[in-house]
Amino acid sequence: MIPLEHYLVVSAILFSLGLLGVLTRKNAVNVLMSIELIFNSANINLVAFSRFSSSDFSGQIFAIFVIVIAASEAAVALAIVLSLYRILKSVNLDEATALKG
Amino acid sequence: MPELTTQIIFYVFAALVVGSAALVVLGPNLVHSAFALLATFFGVAVFYVLLGADFLAGVQVLIYVGGILILLLFGVMLTHRIYGVDLKTETLQFWPGLAVAVAVLVTIVGIIYRTPWRQMGFAGFEGPTTSSIGELFMNEYILPFEAASVLLLIALMGAAMIVRRRSDL
Amino acid sequence: MPSLGTLASLKYFLPELTLVLTLLVVVAVDIALRGREDRRLGTILLALAGLVMAGVFTVLLQEAPQGALFSRMLVLDHFGLLFRFLFIVTALLVLLLSVPSRELAGVNQGEFFALLLAVTVSMMWMATSINLLMIYLALEMVSVGSYIMVGYLKGERLSNEASLKYILFGAVSTGTMLYGLSLLFGLTGTLDLYGIRAVLMNEGMLSQSGPALLFIVILVLAGIGFKTAAVPFHFWCPDVYTGAPTPVTAFLSVGPKVAGFAVLVRFFFGGMAQPAGDGSWQMVGVNWQALLIGVSVATMTLGNIAALLQTNLKRLLAYSSIAHAGYILMGAVVLSEEGIQAMLAYMVIYLFMNLGAFVVVMVIYDQLGSFDVKDYGGIWKRSPMLTIAMSIFLLSLMGIPPFAGFLAKFYVFAAVIRAGLGWFAVVGVLNSAIAVFYYMKVLKAMVIEEGTTGDSSEIALHPIYAGLLIVLLVPNVAGLVLWGYLDQITEYSMKILETL
Repeated sequence: MIPLEHYLVVSAILFSLGLLGVLTRKNAVNVLMSIELIFNSANINLVAFSRFSSSDFSGQIFAIFVIVIAASEAAVALAIVLSLYRILKSVNLDEATALKG
Repeated sequence: MPELTTQIIFYVFAALVVGSAALVVLGPNLVHSAFALLATFFGVAVFYVLLGADFLAGVQVLIYVGGILILLLFGVMLTHRIYGVDLKTETLQFWPGLAVAVAVLVTIVGIIYRTPWRQMGFAGFEGPTTSSIGELFMNEYILPFEAASVLLLIALMGAAMIVRRRSDL
Repeated sequence: MPSLGTLASLKYFLPELTLVLTLLVVVAVDIALRGREDRRLGTILLALAGLVMAGVFTVLLQEAPQGALFSRMLVLDHFGLLFRFLFIVTALLVLLLSVPSRELAGVNQGEFFALLLAVTVSMMWMATSINLLMIYLALEMVSVGSYIMVGYLKGERLSNEASLKYILFGAVSTGTMLYGLSLLFGLTGTLDLYGIRAVLMNEGMLSQSGPALLFIVILVLAGIGFKTAAVPFHFWCPDVYTGAPTPVTAFLSVGPKVAGFAVLVRFFFGGMAQPAGDGSWQMVGVNWQALLIGVSVATMTLGNIAALLQTNLKRLLAYSSIAHAGYILMGAVVLSEEGIQAMLAYMVIYLFMNLGAFVVVMVIYDQLGSFDVKDYGGIWKRSPMLTIAMSIFLLSLMGIPPFAGFLAKFYVFAAVIRAGLGWFAVVGVLNSAIAVFYYMKVLKAMVIEEGTTGDSSEIALHPIYAGLLIVLLVPNVAGLVLWGYLDQITEYSMKILETL
């Protein structure tokens, strides 16, 4: 039997890697991939806790909903990236800096 | 399943998941990152199987690999000509970012080993979970189930609206 | 208290059901009337009808017994009822606001209304969820809907950029919150908020799980802070507010933000605090009050100081709304029903003053094509009515008596002082003083300065805008008169269902 902590450590590493990607990567699609890492890390937690810490399947059910939500967000995010790409392409490759901090 | 086999599988796939995730985040080539993400998703599915969540593992492969990853690949391929262009401007330099991530990791691991996580043995996890999950969806979790369908409707309509070219539809 | 199953819960669920049905009908009618003249009118009327019906159902639910619905996914209590009603009113006002808008003139409004309805239902769920899964699902539904609404002008670069920034920041924040929720699940073994509180109250576990709980609270605050635009999760706010179509900005500033506060109160008071019986609450698990005080101070201070430097009205109002979130948080911090009541009163008043300011900004943009305060010169001569309306909204936002904004601040500061946190109230008052400067800047430009374009024609006021202005002005002006009424409503609504 693999102890609970092992799963938690792996998900912690995934979460940190995802965070690193969000903080340091410049390409939007790459950031999106990092965000998916974060979602997966939370899901591993949920399923592991469902197995070890709870008396029902609620963690697994939550994980299923997270997957659904992640799919919706990915679809919308990629639609936005594509839309922005179309505009930038026609405006002579430039950074997305029209909005300043 | 014999104990040692389970342990070997866990460690091998843990290494796979962590390694490919690192490639996703650190790799210079976006297409390589996308395929590394594929490996990560599969590895996570294996974890779900080890944890007894067989239905969830199937969902993970179907939706994450078969859906989200395909979308991401489309995204990468369709915008690759400007992949050198920064679509995001507020980023940290690599080393400060790494420092933050490492600090977070150390904090979490510290918390993991110090916290009394709830321990409950549950025998119901041996065996297929699909029918139990199905029953739960139709009874306790029916409200989120229906709410999720509204979410999917919004996402579908929204994504289609943003991407289509004709604006009078 | 027993929890109702699915079929029995449905009759208490009529407002939400009505809205979902309306949204489906709006989508269908929008497709059916494609290419026809009456397409817009048809969808507008349908959406309005649906919202009004849902509003009526919500009011009728006052007599309903309180309890849990849908196997403890949602709760039916007075607190939730007020929010449900408030969101319907918000949606009605934003719907009307977007009809004459120049920015949204060329786009398909049927889908926009459907989106607005969907986000409204989701906000209602945010305010009534007591299960971690449902809270998270509702929060994400509001977020995804908002991301789409912000990017609605897909041909405009600003709109797209704002949308991208919003979704990336939002997904990270909510993903982080999810990680925190997963840890909370592991600590307590349940997703039910009241169940979580029961486990946390067990003495033996408190001492060892302190660090974990603190970490969890910080992570959860990432998601809640994002929705309410509190520091340090506010970074998306100015850019998104500026780039989004103004009706959407107006909606974001009063809809999802208020919903975020509802979740904050539910999570902290329902899951991490227990009522002490005399109207005050005691924290359970970890001292989150200190954390919230810090967030509140940082939020109002940063919001007010940054607003001083802005010349774009939308950006200025973005920072102003960040500051107001700081004031609202003060009410949550005092750990009493009085504090919750103050928060509720502030949120209701804030809806009317903030939306009012945005309506004026929209009218001016539709006519002059600018959001820059430099171009606001000479408006007094071109439309005295508009200037008077804006003055009232700005004075209310400043917190000047006798307008409603003053009463809102007074309520919150009084609750804080009565809880013994006098210094906190002083910080609030100082911040309000700073705020006067940037609101006055706008007023000064409108009244005293000369117009830049040399155009001195009268500013046309679309009848819908005029109607909205009147509706929004009334609560601001008649604050003192309507005060007793507001007091009654908030006192009724401050009762969160205490135990389940």
